[in-house]
Amino acid sequence: MTTFDRAALDALPVAPGSTGAIRERAFVQFEAMPMPSQETEEWRYTDLSAFELDFVPHVPGHGQGAPEQDAAGLAASMLQHNSSVVMTTSGQDLESKGVIFCDLDVAAEKYPELVDRHLHSLVPTDRTKFTALHGAFRTGGTFLYVPADVAVELPLQTLTYLDVEGAAVFPHTLLIAERGAEVTFIDRFSSPPLGRALSDAIAEIVLGDGAHVRYASIQEWGAGVTHLAVQRASVGRDADFRSLALGFGASLSRAEAETILDSPGGFSEMLGVFFADEDQHFDHRSVQDHVAPNCTSDLLYKGALRDESRAVYSGWVHVRPDAQKTIAMQTSRNIVLSEHAKADAIPNLEIEANDVRCGHAASVGPVEEETLFYLQSRGIPRDEAERLVVTGFFQEVLDRVTLEGVRHGAELAIQEELGRVR
Amino acid sequence: MVISQEEHLKELSKDYRFDWKDESHSVFEPKRGISPAVVEEISHLKSEPDWMRKRRLKALEHFDARPMPWWGADLSGIDFANIFYFIRSTEKMAANWEDLPEDIKGTWDKLGIPEAEKKYLGGVSAQYESEVVYHKIKKELDDIGVLFTDMDSALRDYPDLVKEHFGSIIPSNDNKFAALNTAVWSGGSFIYVPPGVQVDIPLQAYFRINAENMGQFERTLIIADEGSYVHYVEGCSAPIYSSDSLHSAVVEIKAMKGARVRYTTIQNWSTNVYNLVTKRAAAYEDAVMEWVDGNIGSKVTMKYPSIYLMGEGARGEILSVAFAGKGMHTDAGGKAIHAAPHTTSVINSKSVSKDGGRTGYRGLVRVEPGAHHAKSTVRCDALILDDESRSDTYPYIEVEDETAALGHEATVSKVGDDQLFYLMSRGLSEVEATAMIVNGFIEPITRELPMEYAVELNRLIELQMEGSVG
Repeated sequence: MTTFDRAALDALPVAPGSTGAIRERAFVQFEAMPMPSQETEEWRYTDLSAFELDFVPHVPGHGQGAPEQDAAGLAASMLQHNSSVVMTTSGQDLESKGVIFCDLDVAAEKYPELVDRHLHSLVPTDRTKFTALHGAFRTGGTFLYVPADVAVELPLQTLTYLDVEGAAVFPHTLLIAERGAEVTFIDRFSSPPLGRALSDAIAEIVLGDGAHVRYASIQEWGAGVTHLAVQRASVGRDADFRSLALGFGASLSRAEAETILDSPGGFSEMLGVFFADEDQHFDHRSVQDHVAPNCTSDLLYKGALRDESRAVYSGWVHVRPDAQKTIAMQTSRNIVLSEHAKADAIPNLEIEANDVRCGHAASVGPVEEETLFYLQSRGIPRDEAERLVVTGFFQEVLDRVTLEGVRHGAELAIQEELGRVR
Repeated sequence: MVISQEEHLKELSKDYRFDWKDESHSVFEPKRGISPAVVEEISHLKSEPDWMRKRRLKALEHFDARPMPWWGADLSGIDFANIFYFIRSTEKMAANWEDLPEDIKGTWDKLGIPEAEKKYLGGVSAQYESEVVYHKIKKELDDIGVLFTDMDSALRDYPDLVKEHFGSIIPSNDNKFAALNTAVWSGGSFIYVPPGVQVDIPLQAYFRINAENMGQFERTLIIADEGSYVHYVEGCSAPIYSSDSLHSAVVEIKAMKGARVRYTTIQNWSTNVYNLVTKRAAAYEDAVMEWVDGNIGSKVTMKYPSIYLMGEGARGEILSVAFAGKGMHTDAGGKAIHAAPHTTSVINSKSVSKDGGRTGYRGLVRVEPGAHHAKSTVRCDALILDDESRSDTYPYIEVEDETAALGHEATVSKVGDDQLFYLMSRGLSEVEATAMIVNGFIEPITRELPMEYAVELNRLIELQMEGSVG
């Protein structure tokens, strides 16, 4: 039995604008679609067959108890507490430039032409049972619109904070950067340890021609949370998209990041950093879809595993027949720190054009004994040596993160993971 | 040198070289389609022991129950009801080429097998349709106890060995096509090399499909006892027909403690053959298993030679060359399963696609819990020669032991313009230059082949290149 039934749907706050129709349609899809099965390639490594959909469908928030956000370093920030957006700060400066940064439900009412055009255009509700569930039960979410040729210097951030046992949240980010716009956005997810909770998240990012967007997601859910996220970006002509995914929290985290390069000259960088411990299960999936010619994409995911944790990376590079002069790179590196941790890597290439340069590399291995021996011979204790090596392992990715605050936060999180008693 | 190469290219026909057909040679009226009755009849014609007949019938149930693979190549063109599952072309296996019917002998002459046997082979097995029609092993090998015979004879002459090992590496229900093979298998090679024996000249089997809609299901079992060495080479070809044939072999290999087995395939089926083969080897303590797998022909190939590294210190190596031209889909690759400590594997794959062909590497490297200090490297390179062709790479890496060190790397590219320009500035035509670059690209594999095969492979590549560019 699921708690996501008709009565729960009818009890939600009224859906503004066209989102009411989306809600109804998605609910029908949700009821009709099966749970993802391990029989399919997409879900081969994550077993949800016994996963109960018995979460509290809607929990209004009030904003109390959420972590502070670094107001000084941000152009604007938003706080979503459980199912509601409870606070948005947006400077005069942004408004005068025509930047819109608000609750997605507010946007659906005030800017229906933008929301109707883009909401669920990249991630349709009928993609999986969970995207349908999201389409039906989402309230709140972030809407960020940057008009043509407007550059926003400082990052904007949304913090989604969850603190109710057994609750479900549906974070949604709809980011539209018009032609030539420049913006940086940070999606943070945070909670205390909970017995059980569901985060069913979607991010849709639309880059107009020549737009520059940086998008960072920082997943710091507490233990007990199941995080199922789909992020998909469409990159306009000569546009530049750089994404970073940091994954430290949740008990089960399945994060799909996809970039579609459907106009010539686009660029996509996808970086991933994760650290899994205890019985965490991470399933990272990526897609670099080259549809148009002359695009470049570069992906680098690095992760460390310890205790009984398990991590899977599977990625796809598609080069469609017209995508000549593609350059696509895909790298997954995994460092395994304890005996019972498991890592799998499946970097796939499907190449249908010939004038391309594509490559991928994947590795899974321990900290090399030789390296440890060298450091120990220099008087560094083994634990400390291992910590140095792992720090260095992550540095390759972190050096490419230009957001000072995000990089620093990631470094701290890695040190914290390494500092834990084994 | 340049001129001679051009002449050489002209000399060779643009068409598939092995496209000749003999008159039908069946000694009884073959029937299309598969049923328990067909399986019973095959078993009856071979006067098999009852356990094998039962094994076949059980396998047919597995075959019927299993769905077609949903992944890999498009197999929807296979019409199981239209295939001949067994054709007997002579009553008696020959030990002299002269004893074969004239046109069957002609086929082997054209393929150059008797010539090769004289020069550099330790034994030859020649399978025509369902059965081995010629078989011979050098006397000196026979004398030291090396067994090399066709599988049907082995079942009759060495029933205990066959019963012990048959299906021990690839069970009947391993996959749909292994089940089909187990149900209707016929022919193939049986090799046993006694402890410590080094067979230093290759043993060769050659497989020929002659009839249209033929299904060839040879079954090969190689046991290399402790500390022994054997190199087995197989080749295959078929005439071109307008409708499809099916080749679905099962090859099982055991490399016992300290043994080394090298298995080389030059697969050059015509482009109407579905080639769906299951090949698997178990390598025990300190054993070495090597698959050298060249796939040049066929309509569809799905073949992933596997090595199960079962004993401490076992090593495995898979070298794979795949080529796909017009209308071809070659989905090849390899698997290395590390099930013991200190095991190593190397997979090196090179593929070339052109004229709308599609090549794929599909591989798995798996480290089982407790297989500590396993090491594996996988390297795949693909060359795509025109904008209609395609290359896919699906490498699976699964690691359940923290001390394992695994790496995978792949590149996909086209023939470099600068390389072409350089060679053409030295007077080579674009075709020659491309062929030279492609030959260089696959050289790490061809240098592992016996010389004659390396030459043949290079010639095939040149042939395939001709008319491709410009």
